[in-house]
Amino acid sequence: MSSHIKGSQVLQALLLLVAVAAPALIGPYWIHVGALAWYYALLAASWALLAGYAGQFSFAHVAFAALGGYGSALLTLRLGLPLALAIPLTLLIAMVLGALMGALVLRLSGPYLALFTLAIAEIFRLVLVAEEDITRGSLGLQVPGLFSGGSDVPYYYLGLGLVVLALLAMNGLLMTRIGLFLRAIREDEHAAQASGVNTTLHKIIVFVATSVIAAVAGIYYGHFIGILSPNMVILPEMGLVIAMAVIGGIESLPGAVIGAVVVYALSEILRDYGEWRFVLLGLALILVQRFAQNGLFPFIERILDRRPAAPPPASPVRGEGEYANPS
Amino acid sequence: MPTPPEAPYFAASMLQKHFGGIAAVAEFSAELRRGEIVGLIGPNGSGKTTTINLVAGAFRPDTGSITLDGRDIVGMPAYAFARAGVGRTFQVPRLFRRMTVIENLMVPALTAMRTSRRQAEARAREILAFVRFEHLADAYARTLSGGQQKLLELGRALMLRPSLLLLDEPFAGVHPRLLEQIVEHIRTLSADGYTIVLVDHNLDAVRAVVRRTLVMARGRKIADGPSEEVLQDPEVIRAYTGTRKAMEGRA
Repeated sequence: MSSHIKGSQVLQALLLLVAVAAPALIGPYWIHVGALAWYYALLAASWALLAGYAGQFSFAHVAFAALGGYGSALLTLRLGLPLALAIPLTLLIAMVLGALMGALVLRLSGPYLALFTLAIAEIFRLVLVAEEDITRGSLGLQVPGLFSGGSDVPYYYLGLGLVVLALLAMNGLLMTRIGLFLRAIREDEHAAQASGVNTTLHKIIVFVATSVIAAVAGIYYGHFIGILSPNMVILPEMGLVIAMAVIGGIESLPGAVIGAVVVYALSEILRDYGEWRFVLLGLALILVQRFAQNGLFPFIERILDRRPAAPPPASPVRGEGEYANPS
Repeated sequence: MPTPPEAPYFAASMLQKHFGGIAAVAEFSAELRRGEIVGLIGPNGSGKTTTINLVAGAFRPDTGSITLDGRDIVGMPAYAFARAGVGRTFQVPRLFRRMTVIENLMVPALTAMRTSRRQAEARAREILAFVRFEHLADAYARTLSGGQQKLLELGRALMLRPSLLLLDEPFAGVHPRLLEQIVEHIRTLSADGYTIVLVDHNLDAVRAVVRRTLVMARGRKIADGPSEEVLQDPEVIRAYTGTRKAMEGRA
């Protein structure tokens, strides 16, 4: 690995500086938009780790965000626990359920994994709707804020800090041998096993890590917005997170963050166009998939660092090869 | 405890595997001494690859036992088979295609927690030199030719220093020049004391490296002995090619 600073690293540092300085330059509306974008950035980046690096195309990621939001809120509101206890307890629950999810989907891949996790998310959403005595169902659960005063600036910086921390933690994980094993599992699970990789353990590790980050995002979202509803688990929300990761770079954690910010900002800029903005975003997704299959950030990174293109991302649908046809 | 010199190093006993009522392996038993190299041949659908998958731990047998160096390893997950010393290649190469050649080699080495990155890379460089891939270290595995992919897979299997090496059709679809190279590598590994099971349809290539051949048909082992004798066995000829003439033509 070269020791000199790459153009893409300079770009990342510049973008971080812009993000830090932005509240001084933009109005309250865009600060609010930015603070919300950090919620999606946390989800898109952690989903990029789960799907892009480890090949686990889960549709239950937003359900873990809702688990975080509702968990922390319900433990505080219904059980009267202090927030300092409710948050770690919620994260612990997310860890356990993330591990359970990882164990449940061990033998599933591609469309089967996607459908299974989609069903899990939908069941969770329906439970939130049905248990209205506890969750207030579709009316929404009111959540107290974290900061006094009406400004969104503290939330903006809290969200930004969480995104930076999550990126550092996930990058740290990827720099270890676990990162290499996750990519090997994504490429070919059977070959990884034949190479001595404990695929069960590593799948559970990645589900736990990404579920906790999704739960953190949900906790942040709940306290920031002040109301939680089962709508945060609907399929279009998951689709939005996937689109953000894919547009930014499904195999690039900073790329997914940039994708989240760009897509969310665009959806706000294009708000006047009503439903047409989603058509335009869909078009953007198609164009990125056609001309920059690895996503926008790796595309820019490649230009800045003058390096050859990496192979395009793997298809989530993979045959079972010779195992399917024993001879 | 290490295996006494006279005891088999590897033993598969009465292995059976069914898929949906069909016996892919109806019965398979075999013993190998340490450092021995054997060929495993048979017509398509005879159960060779399923047997390899059983021995590699990818499938759990319905019945039967597998011992390696005196230790029963049936029931362990596939990754534990690999760590216990069973290395394998696949009929169709299963590489980490969107990872570089050196990354492909680093994966097995790093599964041993005591192995540092530096040690893993040093071992990977050794293997790169062995398969003459030094110039391809940073190439993506998917960009390699079919024969190169087979060689890389062989290299990857060697990373964990396996005591039993299962090579599933290493010669299939390989350019004649690379085929010679693979034959040479297998001879070297055999001379270095690796215990090897070689599955292939290329009888010339198999005979060039093994003295003992096992033959399977309809999920059973039907012959086991010196290659020249086994290939003249009427039952083998019937099962493998249908007629003696066809067998002679092929061999």
